[in-house]
Amino acid sequence: MTYQLQTLALHAYLSAALILLWHLVRPFKRGPPIARILGVTGAVLHGAGLGARLWEQGGEPVGLAQACSSVSLAVVVISLFVELWYRQPVLGAFLLPLGTAVLVPGLMGDSGSVPASIRGPILPLHVSVALLGLAAVAAAAGVALVYLLMERQVKLKHFGILFSRLPPLQVLDELNRRLVVWGFVAISLTVITGAFFVRGSGPGLSWSPKEVATLAAWAMFGALMVARLLAGWRGRRVALLTMAGFGVLLVSFFSAFEPVLRSGGVR
Amino acid sequence: MELSCAGLSYKSAPLGVRERLALPAEEQDRLLGRFRERGLEALVLCTCNRAEIYAAGPSAGEALEAAREALCERGGPEARAHLYGHGGEAAMLHLFRVCCSLDSMVLGEAQIFGQVKDAYERAQAAGAAGGELSRACQAAFACAKRARTETGIGRAATSMASAAVDLSRRIFGDLTGRPAMVVGAGEIGELAARHLAQARCKLLIANRTLERAQALAAEVGATARPFEELHALLVSVDLVVCSTASPAPLFTREHVVPAMKARKHRPLLLVDLAVPRDVAPGVHGSAEGVYAYDVDDIRQVIDENVAARAGEAARAEQIVAEEMARYVRARAVRDGVPVLAQLRQRAEQIAKAEAERTLQHLPELSEKQRKSIEAMGMAIVNKLLHQPTAKLRSLDPSGAPSPLAGAAAELFGLEEGPPKAAGGKS
Repeated sequence: MTYQLQTLALHAYLSAALILLWHLVRPFKRGPPIARILGVTGAVLHGAGLGARLWEQGGEPVGLAQACSSVSLAVVVISLFVELWYRQPVLGAFLLPLGTAVLVPGLMGDSGSVPASIRGPILPLHVSVALLGLAAVAAAAGVALVYLLMERQVKLKHFGILFSRLPPLQVLDELNRRLVVWGFVAISLTVITGAFFVRGSGPGLSWSPKEVATLAAWAMFGALMVARLLAGWRGRRVALLTMAGFGVLLVSFFSAFEPVLRSGGVR
Repeated sequence: MELSCAGLSYKSAPLGVRERLALPAEEQDRLLGRFRERGLEALVLCTCNRAEIYAAGPSAGEALEAAREALCERGGPEARAHLYGHGGEAAMLHLFRVCCSLDSMVLGEAQIFGQVKDAYERAQAAGAAGGELSRACQAAFACAKRARTETGIGRAATSMASAAVDLSRRIFGDLTGRPAMVVGAGEIGELAARHLAQARCKLLIANRTLERAQALAAEVGATARPFEELHALLVSVDLVVCSTASPAPLFTREHVVPAMKARKHRPLLLVDLAVPRDVAPGVHGSAEGVYAYDVDDIRQVIDENVAARAGEAARAEQIVAEEMARYVRARAVRDGVPVLAQLRQRAEQIAKAEAERTLQHLPELSEKQRKSIEAMGMAIVNKLLHQPTAKLRSLDPSGAPSPLAGAAAELFGLEEGPPKAAGGKS
């Protein structure tokens, strides 16, 4: 049942993404509201499916597929929120395909169980903020990509479809800033709760690839925010760094599931 | 008199060539004087998108060549390759289309109408606008007013200034509270200021004459700043719209790059609506966050608007065709009037002479009877000329001049030109 709900959600996302992409090329009045309804319907089905799965597992998140599915849901919810808040349906044409793509591996089955060493009441919080942080940074990277596309049109004076349909540069830059702030807060909480695990389990910082990549991403986004605040960094430079930070965070994400890819179960 | 037009526009010539033909007011007056001395009527129209001379003379060819010579003299040999020329009705049609803003970079923009009016007033003041040019201009103005009233071309149109504001929105989004500066308080600067004020920008106006800047600032709710502060203000404003007549650029890399450092690379948009340019070509992209656009860039931005207004433009073209036909008919009537007047004058003279001769043989008639005979002569003239008059006044539906005027002149042995003073012997 949970699989069917998530498959239905995938179809809803895919349809909404295609409608918004079509709207980007050839705007039509009914496109954004239809896509919004499909997106919300998909998110409700997706949430129900994922919730039911977690319920079956006694509230313990297990495996790469569920992590991908959770990130997908978070990206879609962020996309819908951003679209409503900024009145920029075109952003959905970039963020919804991202959410859809992430859901595809999320439909694969997971097996295994959470190791006893990290089981505890704080684990759901740690995993939730980690996945939310990744989703926020993924959305920020998507927005950064749109920024770079728009900036290219503006710089090269290409006044075509993209120039007239993409959101204004300042709006994209401001949205990037907000998503990075939320992402940074979530990553910080992830690091704090993660440190608690490490301390609880013994030898302190183990310098595993996951820990190094997470700390590197945290430091990058922290530096980015400071540079924005104090040195006035913005625009292209910030967009590129956001994408780079997202790349580092992805390394951290997949490192967390390295043993899973071989044997299953979450580390 | 035949009307001719020679010129170049954004369609035929690049900005570099158009810049050379951005004639200052004194030079326009000098040109108009030269045309007047040659016995030609003339109107010089110089905007940022076109430089045209409308000339009227006894021969369309002579007027056209004089206009071409005048433009090449200033624009150099390179300009000749970009010149277009129209004679007779084609020149008239071009003037109608220009006035209706159907030939403008921004279809339907309102500025061109005022610019042609100003050019006409300048020609009048210089004594270069005679009957032919005045009639042509009045007809073109009437056509433009009709097109603007009866179609949506004016309502939907955006001027260069509003296109510039639209462009700003592509960079900054909502312009509310955005610090902006208009440099130059001329016609385009004024329009830009009004559009930016409408967009609720926090607006500054700088102009060489501070009083003019203060007057405009008071009108649009902005703040006037001295022209000397221009470069210092680059640090605080996000959007600059320039439209001065400065022969040299006001903003160069040397001004913008240090300002960007002081701004901590907050985006700066410079929209240059001036010809010659107020923003040097190397400014765009000279530092991160600097965007500079000139009139040719704005043209690209507004191409979409042109497509959207194609339907209204088609209706406006129809009005131009109707007004052209009306003008041609009226002109043909004017051409036929001298023949009619001469014919009537000749017939009345004959009737009067014959009545006098008859009355000489009838001295016994009373005054009342004498007047009846004279009236009978005039009545015969009127009845005889009624049909020819109606025929000469009714023209070909296409508006082509009636060949009957010439035939009547030949049949009755009338001379071409205006009728002679009444009372002469036939």
